[in-house]
Amino acid sequence: MNMELSRRHFLKMAGVGAAGTSLGAFGFAGVEAAQAAAIRPYKLANTTETRNTCPYCSVACGIIMYSKGDLKKGERADITHIEGDIDHPTNRGTLCPKGAALHDFVTSKTRITVPRVREPGSDEWTEVSWDHALDRIARLMKDDRDANFIAKNKDGTAVNRWTTVGFLGASATTNETAFLTYKAVRSMGILGFDNQARV
Amino acid sequence: MSDPRSIEADPTAIGGVVTPPFARLPDPDALFVKRSLRLRAYAEQSDLKPFLLFLAGVADAQAAILPLLPPVEPPDPEALARARDNAMPPVDRAAIAPDAAFDATFEALFDAAAAVDQPDEARAALARIKGDRALRDTCSRTVLAGERPDTGLAEHAYAAAALQVHMARLAATLDPASLVPVGTGACPCCGGPPVSSTVVGWMGADGARYCTCALCATMWNVVRVKCTLCDSTKGITYMGVDGGTDTVKAETCDECGRYVKILQGQKDMLVDAVADDVGSLGLDMLMQGTRYKRGAYDPFLLGY
Repeated sequence: MNMELSRRHFLKMAGVGAAGTSLGAFGFAGVEAAQAAAIRPYKLANTTETRNTCPYCSVACGIIMYSKGDLKKGERADITHIEGDIDHPTNRGTLCPKGAALHDFVTSKTRITVPRVREPGSDEWTEVSWDHALDRIARLMKDDRDANFIAKNKDGTAVNRWTTVGFLGASATTNETAFLTYKAVRSMGILGFDNQARV
Repeated sequence: MSDPRSIEADPTAIGGVVTPPFARLPDPDALFVKRSLRLRAYAEQSDLKPFLLFLAGVADAQAAILPLLPPVEPPDPEALARARDNAMPPVDRAAIAPDAAFDATFEALFDAAAAVDQPDEARAALARIKGDRALRDTCSRTVLAGERPDTGLAEHAYAAAALQVHMARLAATLDPASLVPVGTGACPCCGGPPVSSTVVGWMGADGARYCTCALCATMWNVVRVKCTLCDSTKGITYMGVDGGTDTVKAETCDECGRYVKILQGQKDMLVDAVADDVGSLGLDMLMQGTRYKRGAYDPFLLGY
């Protein structure tokens, strides 16, 4: 039904001339040419709409992010607007005040985009590389786990718990990320495990 | 809404989070009047003014003949049940045969259209289709089949104008709650292709997108950011005239290489699926410079 051009169709009668477009056939060829000339100086502008999940809480509302610019053409794409996704069964286009302010959250000047550290005793945040940050976290976690890991309770029953460290997961994760997060955290014995969604 | 005495939890009642209706049937009395007004509004600021005023005249003719027509014969209940059981359109386009209402619609429309100011070519086409029943039926079948003729475009457009009235009246006899999806890019009422899609601002469906059937004007819900013709969600972009209005954009699909215009009914309550499609012809002209082909079916814009 939606084929671009279906089978050719010929009318078996005289006087029906072939015409390129409906406008031409109706005798508006001059109007059509005028419109074509008027529109020629204009260009096309690309916008995209992308589905995502609001990062704030475990309700995981669907959102649509509008952006201007075409990444496929190597252009820079900037988010211009974010709104609730009407097609998402959870929120049907609605958002809470935090979700409704997502665009400001994305463009906020105070948004943290690189890892930073405030060393003990310091009152300043210092930017560090991701490698540095991850190595540092791994080192500190290892040291703490070695020092405080409880393999058995006083009755000698194996408990394998590590109670001196807590972990806070993100809420806008996929099922796969959530599964991996759970496995990584629980397999280390961490009991203090919560989700940013409940903060 | 659930029964207020029920203790059953009903989260949809909270904060107006309701599921948009799947389909909305046309109201023929309002449809063509609204279309005519929209075409005239476009005409005020368009290089296409004479063409738009002509189509507004045709829409006026479509509206004017409605009170003169005998009632349409709705599909029989058995056919409706069969269509529903098999997810087929309840109005079978292939089975539409000239009956009393069909003939009266065509005759009345052709008479009313003769009074519209139009170029000689259009008038000659009208005279041809008015005087030749075989031509009228051939054109109707082509339009009903969703085919794009490459000759006699004006005759087909006149046939389509009459069919729009007939099909909208047929669609209006149905129960909107009985409609079910019948296929990708197909009207749930008559199985036809869309003329454009609209993001609506209706109460309870604010921001939902509805495709509009080119003939019967039934509107059906289609998930946004998704190709209305092939259901793909890959490579959907929106192209508009740079510096122009945001109301009409071309929703392009990289999978099938086609585009269908999407109208912002939230921003402009007066949008009409057909009028805005024709009024934004400049966008189609610019789109001819891209690799996307026009995928919508508009009997007044054949050849694009």
